[in-house]
Amino acid sequence: MKYKISIFFIIGLTLYLIDIGFNSSDKKEIYISDQEIISLVNAWKSQVGRNPNDDEITRIINNLVEEEILYREALKIGLDKEDRIIKRRLAQKISFLKQESIPTSPSNEDLINYYNENHDKYFIDSSYTFSHYFFSSENNSKKRSSKAYKDLLKNISINSDPFFLGKNFVDISQRKIKSEFGKDFALNFKDVEFDKWIGPIESPFGHHIIYVTNYTEGYIPDITNVLKQVEVDFLQSQRDVAIENYLNQIRSEYKIYINPNLQI
Amino acid sequence: MKLLRNVILIIIGIYILTLGLVYVDVYDSRPIISLFKNMQSDSSLEVVDFSVDKKDSSKTKPKPNKNRNPYYGDLHVHTKYSFDAYIFGVTASPDDAYRYAKGEGVNHPLGYEMKLREPLDFYSVTDHGFYMGMIQAYADTSKDISQNDFAEPFHNLNRLDNLTVESAGERSNIFSSVLGATIIKPYPDWHPKLLKAYFTRNTQGALRSFDYDIHKSAWADVARSANEHNDPGHFTTFIGYEYTTSTDIEGGNLHRNVIFNSSKASIRPWTRIDSINPEDLWTWQDKLREKGVDTISIPHNSNGSNGQMFEMETFKGNALNTEYAKKRMRNEPLVEITQVKGTSDTHPLLSPDDEWADFEIMDVRVGSRPPTYSKPSGSYVREAYLNGLTLEFTRQGNPYKFGLIGSTDTHVVAASLDESNYWSKVGLLDGDPENRGSVPLKEENVERLKEYMRAFNQPISTVSLEQGEYANTGFTQWGASGLAAVWAEENTRESIFNAFRRKETFATTGTRIAVRFFGGYDLSSIDLNSESIVSEAYQKGVTMGSDLLNDENKNPEFLVWAQRDKNGAPLQRIQIIKGWIDANSGRPEEKVFDVACSDGLQPDSLTNRCPDNGARVNINDCSITSNVGSSELKTIWKDPEFVPADKTFYYVRVLENPTCRWSTWDAIKAGFKPREGLHETIQERAWSSPIWYIPEQSDVEVIPLGGTIQLRNID
Repeated sequence: MKYKISIFFIIGLTLYLIDIGFNSSDKKEIYISDQEIISLVNAWKSQVGRNPNDDEITRIINNLVEEEILYREALKIGLDKEDRIIKRRLAQKISFLKQESIPTSPSNEDLINYYNENHDKYFIDSSYTFSHYFFSSENNSKKRSSKAYKDLLKNISINSDPFFLGKNFVDISQRKIKSEFGKDFALNFKDVEFDKWIGPIESPFGHHIIYVTNYTEGYIPDITNVLKQVEVDFLQSQRDVAIENYLNQIRSEYKIYINPNLQI
Repeated sequence: MKLLRNVILIIIGIYILTLGLVYVDVYDSRPIISLFKNMQSDSSLEVVDFSVDKKDSSKTKPKPNKNRNPYYGDLHVHTKYSFDAYIFGVTASPDDAYRYAKGEGVNHPLGYEMKLREPLDFYSVTDHGFYMGMIQAYADTSKDISQNDFAEPFHNLNRLDNLTVESAGERSNIFSSVLGATIIKPYPDWHPKLLKAYFTRNTQGALRSFDYDIHKSAWADVARSANEHNDPGHFTTFIGYEYTTSTDIEGGNLHRNVIFNSSKASIRPWTRIDSINPEDLWTWQDKLREKGVDTISIPHNSNGSNGQMFEMETFKGNALNTEYAKKRMRNEPLVEITQVKGTSDTHPLLSPDDEWADFEIMDVRVGSRPPTYSKPSGSYVREAYLNGLTLEFTRQGNPYKFGLIGSTDTHVVAASLDESNYWSKVGLLDGDPENRGSVPLKEENVERLKEYMRAFNQPISTVSLEQGEYANTGFTQWGASGLAAVWAEENTRESIFNAFRRKETFATTGTRIAVRFFGGYDLSSIDLNSESIVSEAYQKGVTMGSDLLNDENKNPEFLVWAQRDKNGAPLQRIQIIKGWIDANSGRPEEKVFDVACSDGLQPDSLTNRCPDNGARVNINDCSITSNVGSSELKTIWKDPEFVPADKTFYYVRVLENPTCRWSTWDAIKAGFKPREGLHETIQERAWSSPIWYIPEQSDVEVIPLGGTIQLRNID
């Protein structure tokens, strides 16, 4: 019996000692490592171009000590608690740690699954072949183009302007049409009718009457053609997933209260 | 035993002898030991094909256009592999850079998303060649090299919790210690690594702080990424790097970007550790060309070179000659006229009669701390063109007959091109309005900035103005610029690189203005309303970047046609900038002609200026006058003051209507008035490469004014 009690006594003593050991930072002791000082002195040196003298070294070390003291006092009165910057930095730090454990070479199955779920990302744009008459906004384009359109239908020859980027466009992608003629102009190509004059359509440069002759529908390429890209995208998504999973797992442990009546 | 001892002694003896001879060779400029020269291999001339095994894109490749299309890109982009980008908090890779150029969003080190309004057509990641990849390795504590004492300040510098503007002070300090070469420690003279460095002509191998394998693998990754993202017909990439050199004494910036023409490149970048003399870079490029790898190098930030970029003497102070001119032009057909760190067209002191000269001027030397004035003469493009003519006039050849491009020099992988959405370029240091000086500092930030400046012995860098205390660290002179544009048949490496070589290029300040420019003697026969303007102009004339030869003293004609950026402001005017050397006095002259005005206006024949078109900017919300300005401008122009005997160049400048500058946008978004003393508005613009008019050869005998005839090498 006596023997067993003394075991508890020993465990208690050990815990007490360990506790003292771990909480030594509670004591007002500051250890400055050689490394810390040397790296500060080196920084000083590289800036000023000579070694700091004794006074300057003292100042450098004093600054370091004061910073540490202020830091600890700030912790003591809880200044770290409600600081947005500190919160954000810690939040970033833990997300970073959670991302670390991602495998670098994903399996074929992973890639195929990812591709199947995200194949829209690899869509190859539809393209068009068309010609156009252009009427520059520098020269009354609205009026001239509507008249020209009527004349075209009657097979009367018309007077248009040269367009800066040319007259005929062969196999030009939807995206390129957007970048060269503007978004609104490109919208007219959706369900466009072929082999027929259409217009006038406005662009940032004036008005156009277009004639579309060919169209290649957009499609999703086979995974083998975009494998490398799939791999890169998959790994990126895994990093996002890791944080999300972690958050989901932890989130349920929290109860969140937000004032529903807050006016902003 | 004795034999063994003798063998060892002999080996040591030979080693010491070799060291001795190498020492003599290195420190004596006369090549007395040709034996060794023959034994040296040159590590920088080993050519590697970095092409990646990639399936051909299944997309339809558009047909080439013989009248050529305009393509826009950026040839000056840094990623985490640059020693400074990494210090600025950048962890984004070359892959991220190319994705950004294709239109995807990437994150700024401060956490916000950066995205282009429209994708670009071509892009080249050009990390600093010297120390490429090294800083990153120092910071990664799992790498052996990080265990050295010089690597300590870098340890885990970019761990996420350190990515804040508060760490900026620590960061700038590390930056200057790299530039100040304090971490470049060589091995002692007797060390075998030194011999190896000598025999492979790989100086950096002699530095303790250098790990060749890490360096090579960073470079290989840059090349791999470029090749992987290259998509012929749709998106072009170039393998490239920055040769970051400067003059020895004044720190005059001589930085250049080296761009490779194919998937092949040298096994390592040739850097300032090999030599700080750009003429040696050209020698290396020449040798590489003999091995089938063509490169061009593109100087940038001549504005911050303190007059050294376009010097009138060689790097070592000798007279320029035709040999020098040919070599420079063979390797440097282009110059970057505009970028984030200012525009180098001209300076108000150099062009007092050009009302548009005071545009995005950065008047300090690149990287100088504290900021140090960079003298304008020798630092600007227009003066260099004139000096080139002068050198030709004195029969020394013209080393300054280059074309023009713009680029950004972003260090956060993403080009910042939009005044209304600007993030400058050095990550944590200028990624928010307070730090770049466009809005007043909050009180705690004033203290922080002062603290840093004291800690690093720099002058006080805040200034007290009407609305409060502002950061005054020089970032206010930077801006959202620029783009490289080419006229090429198709969007492929070959086609675009050929355009670089032809100098059929133009530069913009980030806007996507497009400009055609032709010179000839029969251009007025072209109907400006016909569909065949361009094909006829190519037949009847020469285009930007070319020579126009004298033709029986006829007066040349120029055809200019510009189209607005559909997302930018309308065009205000087209100007032709003329520079010439008076054939009688040898005096350089320049003049700016407005040749086409918006809204149907005509230039005044006396002042050569367009009347005011009435375009204004509302500084309270940055809105601009609607319904003024043009969507396109075109004209045929004849020089009214043409003198057939004068060597002359002509280049085009296209101006948009005024819009808000980024600093104004920053201020009004934050609820302030624009900071006083800064330009509130700017006129976005484009510059074409020049056309050089070449007069008939004169028989005037030129007597050299200095140096020797041999040096001048009269042709």
